[in-house]
Amino acid sequence: MIGIILVALTAALAAAQTPDPAYAPLQKAYDALRAKDYDRAVDAFQQAIKISPDRPAMRKDLAYTLLKIGENEAARDQFAEAMRLDPRDDHVAFEYAFLCYETKQQAIARRIFDRIRKMGNTTAADAFENIDRPLREGIARWTDALKMSPDNFSAHEELARLAEQRDELSLAADHYRKAWTLRPDRRSLLLDLGRVFHEMSRNEEAQAALLAASRGAEPRVAEQARELLPKRYPYVYEFHRALALDPRNLELRRELAYLHIEMKNRADAEKEFRIVVDSAPNDLLSVAQLGLLHWTRGDQEGALPLLQRVLSGGDLELAERVRTAMKTPESLQRRETKSAGSDQARLLGEKSLEKGYLQDALKYFRIAHENDAQDYGVMLKLGWTYNMLKDDQEAVRWFALARQSPDPSIASEASRAWRNLQPDTERFRTTVWVFPVFSTRWNDLFAYAQAKTELRLANPWLRPYLSVRLVGDSRGAVDLANYGPQYLSERSVILAAGVATKAFHGATGWFEAGESLRSNPGHVLPDYRGGVSYLKGFGQLLTKGAHGAFAETNDDGIYVSRFNKDTLLYSQNRAGFTLRNTQLYWNANATVDMQGQYWANTVETGPGIKFKFEGARVPLLFSLNLLRGAYLINQGNPRAPNFNDLRIGVWYAFTH
Amino acid sequence: MPSLTKPNFPPPPTKSDSLWRAPPGVPRRHSCRRCNLFTILLAASLANAAPTLSFHVMGSDPGSWPAILSSIGLSASAPGDVLVIPTGTQASFEECQSRIERGAVLIIEGQSPLAESFGFHATTKPHVIVRSVEDVRSPKLPIVWEKPLDVPVFEIPKEARVFAAERWQGVPLMAGFKRAKGAVLWIAASPGPYGYERFPYIPQALTDLGLEAPFRSERLWAFFDSAYRSRVDIDYFAARWKASGIGALHVAAWHYWERDPQADDYLRKLIEACHRNGIVVYAWLELPHVSEKFWDQHPEWREKTALLQDAQLDWRKLMNLTNRAAFAEVSKGARDLIGRFDWDGVNLAELYFESLEGFSNPARMTPFNDDVRAGFRLKSGFDPIELWSIKAKQASEIAQFVDFRADLARRQQAEWLAQIDDIRKTKPHLDLALTHVDDRFDTTMHEKIGADASRLLPMLSSHDFTFLIEDPATIWNLGPQRYPQIAARYAGLTPSQDKLAIDINVVERYQDVYPTKQQTGTELFELVHTASASFPRVALYFENSILPPDLALLSAAASSVDRAEMVGGKLVVESRRGAGIPWQGPALVDGRPWPVLNGKTLWLPRGPHSVEPSAKPITLEILDFNGDLKSAKVISNGLEFAYQSSARALATLEHAPGKVEIDGAEVKPELAGNVLILPRGQHLVTLTN
Repeated sequence: MIGIILVALTAALAAAQTPDPAYAPLQKAYDALRAKDYDRAVDAFQQAIKISPDRPAMRKDLAYTLLKIGENEAARDQFAEAMRLDPRDDHVAFEYAFLCYETKQQAIARRIFDRIRKMGNTTAADAFENIDRPLREGIARWTDALKMSPDNFSAHEELARLAEQRDELSLAADHYRKAWTLRPDRRSLLLDLGRVFHEMSRNEEAQAALLAASRGAEPRVAEQARELLPKRYPYVYEFHRALALDPRNLELRRELAYLHIEMKNRADAEKEFRIVVDSAPNDLLSVAQLGLLHWTRGDQEGALPLLQRVLSGGDLELAERVRTAMKTPESLQRRETKSAGSDQARLLGEKSLEKGYLQDALKYFRIAHENDAQDYGVMLKLGWTYNMLKDDQEAVRWFALARQSPDPSIASEASRAWRNLQPDTERFRTTVWVFPVFSTRWNDLFAYAQAKTELRLANPWLRPYLSVRLVGDSRGAVDLANYGPQYLSERSVILAAGVATKAFHGATGWFEAGESLRSNPGHVLPDYRGGVSYLKGFGQLLTKGAHGAFAETNDDGIYVSRFNKDTLLYSQNRAGFTLRNTQLYWNANATVDMQGQYWANTVETGPGIKFKFEGARVPLLFSLNLLRGAYLINQGNPRAPNFNDLRIGVWYAFTH
Repeated sequence: MPSLTKPNFPPPPTKSDSLWRAPPGVPRRHSCRRCNLFTILLAASLANAAPTLSFHVMGSDPGSWPAILSSIGLSASAPGDVLVIPTGTQASFEECQSRIERGAVLIIEGQSPLAESFGFHATTKPHVIVRSVEDVRSPKLPIVWEKPLDVPVFEIPKEARVFAAERWQGVPLMAGFKRAKGAVLWIAASPGPYGYERFPYIPQALTDLGLEAPFRSERLWAFFDSAYRSRVDIDYFAARWKASGIGALHVAAWHYWERDPQADDYLRKLIEACHRNGIVVYAWLELPHVSEKFWDQHPEWREKTALLQDAQLDWRKLMNLTNRAAFAEVSKGARDLIGRFDWDGVNLAELYFESLEGFSNPARMTPFNDDVRAGFRLKSGFDPIELWSIKAKQASEIAQFVDFRADLARRQQAEWLAQIDDIRKTKPHLDLALTHVDDRFDTTMHEKIGADASRLLPMLSSHDFTFLIEDPATIWNLGPQRYPQIAARYAGLTPSQDKLAIDINVVERYQDVYPTKQQTGTELFELVHTASASFPRVALYFENSILPPDLALLSAAASSVDRAEMVGGKLVVESRRGAGIPWQGPALVDGRPWPVLNGKTLWLPRGPHSVEPSAKPITLEILDFNGDLKSAKVISNGLEFAYQSSARALATLEHAPGKVEIDGAEVKPELAGNVLILPRGQHLVTLTN
């Protein structure tokens, strides 16, 4: 038994003593170090650190090796990491601080020595003094120099740098700003200002300085600033702050002007372009844009001299764009070169759209469009985004632009969307539908039709309309025993005026008042009707290219004065499968009413098929439903409680 | 070692052939055993060394490719070991493939059917606007294009290594792969008008693909400041400097002005390590800056600015050397500093006044100490401070002070030259260099800092020193072609052209420059190469600022070879100041056994020389020589060579010689390790086992 326990303990100990996975590379590193093969030692230390990244001792050894080969910055970074891993190790903190000092990070070095000297360490106190004294004296010297020579640029700059290193950030910011005022051509001072403001947590001012630096001359400064700026696109107020700091930055101002255009702030855009054009009369692109802004607000007198300058300015391409843009102003906004941000903005827009962040998608697509105003793909996406945001007026405008794409797939998709939406945005919209249907149960052809003209008001929720409805059948009446002639359908033309609401999540409310003209002349009845209609589809509905399962419901609650002021509820439901232009489905319909009329309380179920012919000139939708039905109320019902019916119908509709 | 340019078969070169390889289908000769042996030997040496000598740019517009490729020593010659196919140039894939298989390096620009054939496809993805580039050699180095470029997104072959990519999206911009004995380098766009606007590290990419630069030089000078190297392994660095072509180190000596056992020990070890590696060491003085401690101890001698503040400007703390007491004290300190270390020379640098902002900034303008003001008042009748008073002076009065100041600078320079001459009486081996900012190309320097080369250069006839012309900061943004122009401006000022040198400041420039803030890669190589062709000596400020990716090709850039070709089966090289060629095994130079070679490099004197393999090993070799080699020959049981050197010459030997004779007289050899230290001047040396 004891033997077994010992064996088990031995095995457990052996298992517990897992060999150090970093051992092998560390061994290599120390061997290389002994051979003074520093490059190999560095490689091996780095391998070991990759395996065990949380061991400060390895970081220190790597740092010392890096010092041997003069890689002081890399050594500093390793000491920084070692300090992070073991904050109590003052020796590491010292090494880090000394290397910060040697690698031009005096402010950090000063802070660390300051911290350690406050714990009574005399070496740190000496080191602190060695850094602080020259800074202190330098600040005093340059302050004196400025008293004698207040506009001395280099004194301001020198003083600012010393103050920054001494953590006198307010003084630094003050003198960087003064130096910038004296030498606005030294754009790197904006980076300095941004850095100091950031250190001071004056983030809005930091943002302004960096935004100003990121646009305009000196691509190197602009790139450095971009690296420090947030990834998002700046807000208008941030542009304003940046321009307050750097009012001569025309590139920045021009970009703000374009942003205003995108945001429909045409007056603000015009104001900014006016400043640009006044400062840079040869900036023909801005001249053209300003001219078009005048043009589009009907100020031809103001526009023509500007546009004339562009047309005679020698830039043929721009002149051509002006000619085109006088019809479609957006095309002018194309920049001289496509910016790197364009693609990125487009991609971000697509991702946002995909994830349903519509406002973000809108913002990114606008930026992408501003960067490349002839990217029709972006126009199409803008159309869809606005459509999903329920702003169909804007959506239609973008679809209309995208229709002009040379890419047939974009043009086709945009045209389809435009055709669907465009009527909704017109002042008057006329919809006509006709639905003749033959019923085997009644052996009769019934016809329903309506022509309706809507008026689009400023209030998007209500639409008044005039309507003509036709209701009738071919057979008229049937004679049932004991009941006399029974009319299968009314035969009327109903003229009405009404009002409907905009669809909201598939639901529409409506009410109309009219006159019903019966087939027998002179027989006119008032007709008031109204209700709520709900239409919703799921899955692969009968659209081009659809393939898969679907379900849809069409529900109506309707009040009709002529039916003895009855209120009826209809629910027609279908679920099935869509195969290209054909749907196979199962019906489940129900009708009930408030007054309990037998004919208005039925249920039906049975298979059905709908189809249309692809490429047909007239968009007809054929349906065939085989239904088994039952009356829910049989009191007064002259017919059998159950019935079968085969209904064959054709649906035709158009909107203009 | 695999080599790109290793021939398939030992070639029987003819004049028209490429130097290192046989054209396809050239039959091997088997005419005699001797020829065969010769061919084998030639193949052994050339194949092992296998440098690439020439390049050829197809099409009618070579662009900046000649500047790029010649900056590392390649010369233009069809068909070219490096073949460049610029955008828009038609080239046959089969022909290119065949050339690569035989060892050529193919460079393809941008989008073309040829690029497609080698697997570099432009995709239909949206283009990227390239503003910033990241290079694998130095990923943190900002490489910014002054003019952004719209570039397609390319797919590259699987075997290709990406050397540079667009910084934000990582789209490949420069990539390449080795194939057979050659390689392909592809870049997404042309390299720009000067060759370095877009891709600084094309030469490095070529070497990564196996190209070996054809020549070497070890004549560079470099400035050194121990403040940046306090904890390095000095031996490691000395070897690295030597490998980078640095033959002399000018060490910031003000750190050692006062005696300090620890600092002195560091400096002694530094000098010893340099000597062991064949590098001479100069004491670099920055008078009127003396030392930090001197400044603290002598506030009464501090220089003053025009605002009458102490002149602590940037890192320099300037002293008033017009003051005789100060001068005497500084002179004493200088003698002590030069006397207590084994210096090879002294560099008196930047001995004039401040600043580059000239009269526009009184806070930085010097000298306005009491002595100077009194001297000027005595001569001109007014205090120079009044130049900034409310009652502003006329241009003529400013000119008076400018002239007085330039003359004062000249007098101080002459005074310190005399001081060094005096020290040389006890240390005759000391060389002397005078670093002086250029005021001939940038003529504003005269007014700004009091520099006047025309007053100083006549001293070359009476004093033995090198006049090291410093590139003023105001022109650091200009291209390499400024060096021939600077040289031309000085040509008329002195007949001692061999005593002129140029200093290239490799630092972050204050101007808005692209693609890198400081010179690196092709830009640096073009600067060094052009300067080396224009001046006998090139100095670099400073060794710490040279970026690591540049070190390996610096020596190639510094070489200055006018001609290199194969003539009658021999390699003929004509250089201006000597050159090293990659070589393995014994060699005959001008038909005689050659003793200056080290298994990797064969060192040639200036002028035309033919080189061919030799079957006969020699008993004593000079592995490396720091000096101007005039001639060398193998003698019975040893060797003999002649040289000229302004500083002590350092000959690295295979082993210590049994006997050393200099100009016919036997001397006791002075050795630092296996380095023989020889006197400055022109001498004939005989070494025997």
